Amino acid sequence: MARRERHQFGLDDIPVASFSDIAFLLIVFFILTTTLVATRGLLTEFPSGERSEKQEKKTTTVCLHDGKLTLNDAEMDLPRLRQELADLKLYDRTGDDKVVILESAGKVEYRDYFAAMAAITQAGGTICIVRETGGER
Amino acid sequence: MADIAFQLIIFFMICSNFAKEAGIPVKPPSAPNLERLRQSRTVVAIDADGQIYVQGRRVPDARSAETELADLLRTARTAEARTVLFRCDRTVGREVFEPVLDAITRGGGVVAAIGEREEGKRPSGSQETRNGK
Repeated sequence: MARRERHQFGLDDIPVASFSDIAFLLIVFFILTTTLVATRGLLTEFPSGERSEKQEKKTTTVCLHDGKLTLNDAEMDLPRLRQELADLKLYDRTGDDKVVILESAGKVEYRDYFAAMAAITQAGGTICIVRETGGER
Repeated sequence: MADIAFQLIIFFMICSNFAKEAGIPVKPPSAPNLERLRQSRTVVAIDADGQIYVQGRRVPDARSAETELADLLRTARTAEARTVLFRCDRTVGREVFEPVLDAITRGGGVVAAIGEREEGKRPSGSQETRNGK
């Protein structure tokens, strides 16, 4: 009866022929999972706080309501809003004067909301969101 | 050959940001002159069905998202570290996305809303749109 021998593996015995195959499979995995496309969007830090009871001066307000867009109660389309906000020269203002309230009510889709956010941000304003529930940030 | 391959693997491992939101079908909204955003480790997504995802994992509501985000951003000090990429489908209603935006802010995040550049309108120059500073 043949005696089973314990074989000690040395470095020379490790099969390395498949290493490059494994390596290239890993490369393919990383190429597929890596984010290569540049992400574009808006960077906005909403100020936090509660609704104040008294308001000394009127803050610029953009309102979205069932597909209608208003700036300080005047209804307008998006290009006009961009123009009106640019005319306010928000970039030259400081502190609370830069704040533009973004209010929404009724049926509003994110595409319209995003367009309004983009218009305010690109005009140099600081967005302050007012929710219908009464919470202000 | 194997050495080169392994060096490439190490390069990709160090340099890559994993697509945490991969597999979540989202059609982002569009606007002109959008700035290029830095990659962030924190991602919140809302798909067309209104399902909310934090770091690719589904959460039941905005309150849960807030708890998760507060936990994730606990050690973040700079605005850059607190940046949260917000991917939301363009058709989602405000009753879904507004509480999530609120949750990101309350969780200590700075919202980086992802959108697509409107086709046919190229920016005339670089425009700084960083707010709240």
